[in-house]
Amino acid sequence: MKLAIKMAYRNLVGAGLRTWLNVIVLSFSFLVIIWMKGIITGWDHQAKVDMTNWEIGEGQYWQEDYDPYDPFTFTDSHAPIPPEFSEEIANGTMEPVLIAQGTIYPQGRLQSVMVRGIDPKQTIFMLPAGKLDTVVAGAIPAIIGSGMAKNLKMEAGDRVMVQWRDADGTFDASEVCITEVFTVNVPAVDQGQLYLPLDTLQSMLGLKGEATIVTYDNSEVSRPLVDGWVHKSKTELTSAVDELIRVKTAGTSFLYIILITLAMLAIFDTQVLSIFRRQKEIGTYIALGYTRRQVVGLFTVEGTMYAVLAALLSAAYGLPFLAWQARVGWTMPMDASEFGMAIAQTLYPVYSAGLVAGTVLIIMTVTALVSYWPSRRIAKMNPTEALRGRIQ
Amino acid sequence: MEDSVIITIDGLVKKFPMGKSEFTALKGIDLRFSQGEFAGFVGPSGSGKTTMLNIIGSLDIPSSGQVTVLDHSIGSLTQKDAANLRKRNLGFIFQSYNLFAVHTVYENIEFPLLLLNYSAAERKKMVTEAMEWLGLTDKIKSKPPQLSGGECQRVAIARAMVKRPSLVLADEPTANLDAANSHNILKSMEQLNREFRTTFLFATHDDKVISYLRRKISLEDGRVAKDETISN
Repeated sequence: MKLAIKMAYRNLVGAGLRTWLNVIVLSFSFLVIIWMKGIITGWDHQAKVDMTNWEIGEGQYWQEDYDPYDPFTFTDSHAPIPPEFSEEIANGTMEPVLIAQGTIYPQGRLQSVMVRGIDPKQTIFMLPAGKLDTVVAGAIPAIIGSGMAKNLKMEAGDRVMVQWRDADGTFDASEVCITEVFTVNVPAVDQGQLYLPLDTLQSMLGLKGEATIVTYDNSEVSRPLVDGWVHKSKTELTSAVDELIRVKTAGTSFLYIILITLAMLAIFDTQVLSIFRRQKEIGTYIALGYTRRQVVGLFTVEGTMYAVLAALLSAAYGLPFLAWQARVGWTMPMDASEFGMAIAQTLYPVYSAGLVAGTVLIIMTVTALVSYWPSRRIAKMNPTEALRGRIQ
Repeated sequence: MEDSVIITIDGLVKKFPMGKSEFTALKGIDLRFSQGEFAGFVGPSGSGKTTMLNIIGSLDIPSSGQVTVLDHSIGSLTQKDAANLRKRNLGFIFQSYNLFAVHTVYENIEFPLLLLNYSAAERKKMVTEAMEWLGLTDKIKSKPPQLSGGECQRVAIARAMVKRPSLVLADEPTANLDAANSHNILKSMEQLNREFRTTFLFATHDDKVISYLRRKISLEDGRVAKDETISN
């Protein structure tokens, strides 16, 4: 083994530029694989972070009849805000939200919406709720997401008629004015959502002091069980996203395997070419006293050494690059909202030690294998043929 | 001058498959070689010279017959034993030098000693000596592509001789060299043969080489046509 390492090192150093070209290409593969997987992991990570920041906070209390997947429950899923939460709501660490169904009529068309009442002074969600404090003559101030604005061809300053049914079942309507169009990556916060001031919506529905959901931003505080309200931890609320990530991970692992396979094909190609080009050299090793196993060992070590050098080179220029990317993110050159899925314009890659170590280990193992296989084949040949360079 | 027998060849036959039939390269060869000989197989292309050297060098095996080199029966050696025989006792010199192109002259000559696990100090001493024998001391850091054909072949001889083998097998060692270089190389080999009593076996059809041989075995169509000892 010591001799194989010594000879492999001499062969690689002696080959000069050819070695460095291989090493540079392989190191680039290392970097691209880690970066790409980091971006995908970062995307998943961002989905949860955005969900926390825009929709669920650190956990919620739901009125017991509320079922987000059943719009028929919305009419009855409201109750007076529990007095146990009053102090935290006053402090701004809890935030009540009232939800009702409604219809808007942009440019004469009909569009069902979920009308959400939020406090303009709230700080738990990243929503620009302050814009709900805008005084608009003859209309209720409202904010909507950019996805919905685009679909409805609306923009800030536009007015639209909204219709709703109050607690007594009476239909009523009023004009709302869009005071802000915000950009968000969480579809549930954007598509089909119309945000009004909480007090206003409570008045419109005849549900003064009532809410559907109460969100908190600190999960460390111990809160009492409240009759008629169901506690939903952050883990429960993100379980669907976690499941989605689990399913997506299988898909991205496939991409990871494809990338590694492509890198390995390049190495395999290089090694096969190199080994068949060096068959005279292999014959000479055997003539001078190498066993076939030693020849295979030498070429396997040589191939693996490429991966070791590539890993070191990747670390030299790749670590600063990866760290820089994690800091500034990767901004997509086109409008991410065009993609039709929840994706931020700038993605921040997230790398784990497991990802880096796993990639290095896999590439080294596979490089050793793709070096072993062709050298094993050529070492099996008759040394007299190898010496003449006649093996095809 | 010559003494103990180191190679015995009895009824050696070597056949190669050729499609569905076989080609017989050697047809019943019987020979003996003693320590310190400077002998050569001569004859036209296809007469079986290289095949003889390959079998004596344990790179190939007889189809039938018995070949014993330094008390090792070539036909019954395992791959590992054959590698050991080559590693410890045999030196090879090839027509196209077969040097490691990316290694320096020093590293090329040092390689057989690495295989034999000599210490770094011993290796340095032995490589330096070998380079002095062949006049290569000024080429220590050069690589084969930077050397002339004659220099390359001198490196190949130094690599073959550095471990002081009992037997050196040289296959057309002057085929790629001009007359002056050929004579220099042959003189070097003759000198090493006399100094260290290393047996040299050549496969050649070059008259320059033949003129240096002390024993000439003419092969024709896979048989020994003539075996003559030449007194110098």
